[in-house]
Amino acid sequence: MTKLPKEDLDFEGSKTRMEVAYGAGDGDEDAKAIVAKSEAHVGTLFEQSYRPWDGELGPRWTRNYAIFRHHVYGLFRGTGHRHYHPMVRLSIFVILLYSLLPVLMLFLASLSSDGFLNDTFSRLWGINRYNLWGQVLGYFPRNLCCWPMLTALVVGGMISDDRRFGTSAIYFSRPVTRTDYTVMKYISVAVVLGFVIVLSYFVYYTSAIVFNGEGWAYLVDTLPMFLGGLIAGILVVITYTSIGLALSSISQSRFFAAIAFLAVIYGTKLLALLVDSQFDTSILYVLSPYDSLAHIGQWLLGIDPNYDHPLAFSIVSMLLYNAASVALLTFRVGSLEVTRE
Amino acid sequence: MDPATGIEPVITSRNLRKMYGPHLALDDINLDSPPGAIGILGPNGAGKSTLFKCLLGLITTTSGEGTVLGYDIRTEGEKIRSRIGYMPEYDALDPGLSGVDQVRYSGELLGMNPAHATRRAHEVLQYVGLKEQRYRKIETYSTGMKQAAKLACALVHDPDVLICDEPTNGLDQRARDFMLQTLKNTVTEGNRTVLMSSHVMDDVQAVCDRIVMIHKGKIVVQRRIDDLASQVEREIEISVWGGASRMQEELESRGLVVRRMGRVLRVIRVDESTTSEIINAAVSAQVQVRQMQEYDPDLEDIFLLIMDKLGAEVKRTSDLMTEAHTGGDETA
Repeated sequence: MTKLPKEDLDFEGSKTRMEVAYGAGDGDEDAKAIVAKSEAHVGTLFEQSYRPWDGELGPRWTRNYAIFRHHVYGLFRGTGHRHYHPMVRLSIFVILLYSLLPVLMLFLASLSSDGFLNDTFSRLWGINRYNLWGQVLGYFPRNLCCWPMLTALVVGGMISDDRRFGTSAIYFSRPVTRTDYTVMKYISVAVVLGFVIVLSYFVYYTSAIVFNGEGWAYLVDTLPMFLGGLIAGILVVITYTSIGLALSSISQSRFFAAIAFLAVIYGTKLLALLVDSQFDTSILYVLSPYDSLAHIGQWLLGIDPNYDHPLAFSIVSMLLYNAASVALLTFRVGSLEVTRE
Repeated sequence: MDPATGIEPVITSRNLRKMYGPHLALDDINLDSPPGAIGILGPNGAGKSTLFKCLLGLITTTSGEGTVLGYDIRTEGEKIRSRIGYMPEYDALDPGLSGVDQVRYSGELLGMNPAHATRRAHEVLQYVGLKEQRYRKIETYSTGMKQAAKLACALVHDPDVLICDEPTNGLDQRARDFMLQTLKNTVTEGNRTVLMSSHVMDDVQAVCDRIVMIHKGKIVVQRRIDDLASQVEREIEISVWGGASRMQEELESRGLVVRRMGRVLRVIRVDESTTSEIINAAVSAQVQVRQMQEYDPDLEDIFLLIMDKLGAEVKRTSDLMTEAHTGGDETA
């Protein structure tokens, strides 16, 4: 270490030579540093005081509506409600747009004065039994890919998250019954699925009337078909919600619930398809929830079925899937604990 | 109403019994709990959680009856849960929500309208010391913050009774002190009743003035802590150097009852002569007595004494704790 010469450190009237040299005449030599004094008292971080609340608690429907709002608003708002991953929200938005694609095609067709183009567009996307059935159940990419994907994304953590994070205690230690909890979760999922599946179907049908300038006679002619398709769409929503929520209730993993749902839909479909192609029998399609619904949908819309087995088999299959799923869901929700599991 | 004090009990039960199949979880529970802070004590599996579930009206009792705030636990569970705040033992928070959203949602689930629930969420988060962290996601919270957030969820509707299941689980000393202080404030300043279960006797003693001790589904003690402490035999605590075992043998040979904890011996005080007996024993055993004082029994001693009398093999209350209680710290 370099040592300063002794004389440089010598003080002259409380000043070093260095200070005398640099501070001469500018007043710096009299400068004083003001140091915070130790008697500045250590403040209280915050004052803890209990504040009572004398508001009134709302009735049962307000509690139930809170559950519904929490799960549905989360899709539209980034914060404040159930958190959906941005990719999940984006995927659902893309599926919604895709389900509305025929509306765009109908619009383009209505703009065209070319007879051939107009005919082609109307045949492919115009209102008829096949296209209405196709909108909710028939066309591969949308109905065998988008709807199951949509359901898997929505139901993924719907109940499994409560099991995983212990948030079931938040519900059941409050005046929320297990029935309310199950019903509101069910309605939340069904509304989201319905918003995409049923609403897009409704928009498709009404936009065709608007774009083509159809009148009351057309409406009366096609309304039964529309209602048939609407019922088919509602059945899709109910069945997928039941199966999806049942699978969500048996695990603690979002991924399991989602992938298990896709496995049920695709696995049964694939198995039945393989058996059909090898042995030329459609009976195994009763195992497939999608095919049971498609079969019922064909009947509701009055088009020739693709299946050899009786319609009753498909109806029973759909009812059994729903009943078994709801029973499993109810049982599993019944086992959710408030204290430690 | 208690005829002696004139105070209406908050929780009552008569011959309450709960069976899970052949297993008897609660047996003849007779409770009369006045307002205030009550510690629920007992080894693991004693029936504390089952009792809480019964009081919340979540499970049907096999027989007997009970009331909470005047509501029947068998038929008015929803009304009870509207006026009770329950802080569960384990994490019961959505990690994807911010603190304020979680507490607001807890309020909405009770029937509070969103505006009231939001305003109240800010108030209670400030009360539990999470004012600065309220907009952070719960997944970023420490264990202490999560415990505080759970407490805020339980307090959001200003409940008459607050039930806390192991509120200091996994907390460090500072967070634990704050949690206990908050619970105490809720009782003294908020004038609320707190039911608190814990294996940490110091925590219960810090907050509660009464205890209910459960063992194998039965209530074995239901008293004020002060009353219990006055009933425990007085001891003299001595700290010895150079032959604690010899000293113990010497004391026992003189007919004194001794508890030994390393170099510290506690001798039951028989009468005035016990002190001189101890000094004489030290002379005979040739050990140094470095400290000698009257020992005031704490809740830990009372608990162990009662457990010992019941034949439960509990050497210390830390034996009752799992990793969840200590936050993985075995020395806690």
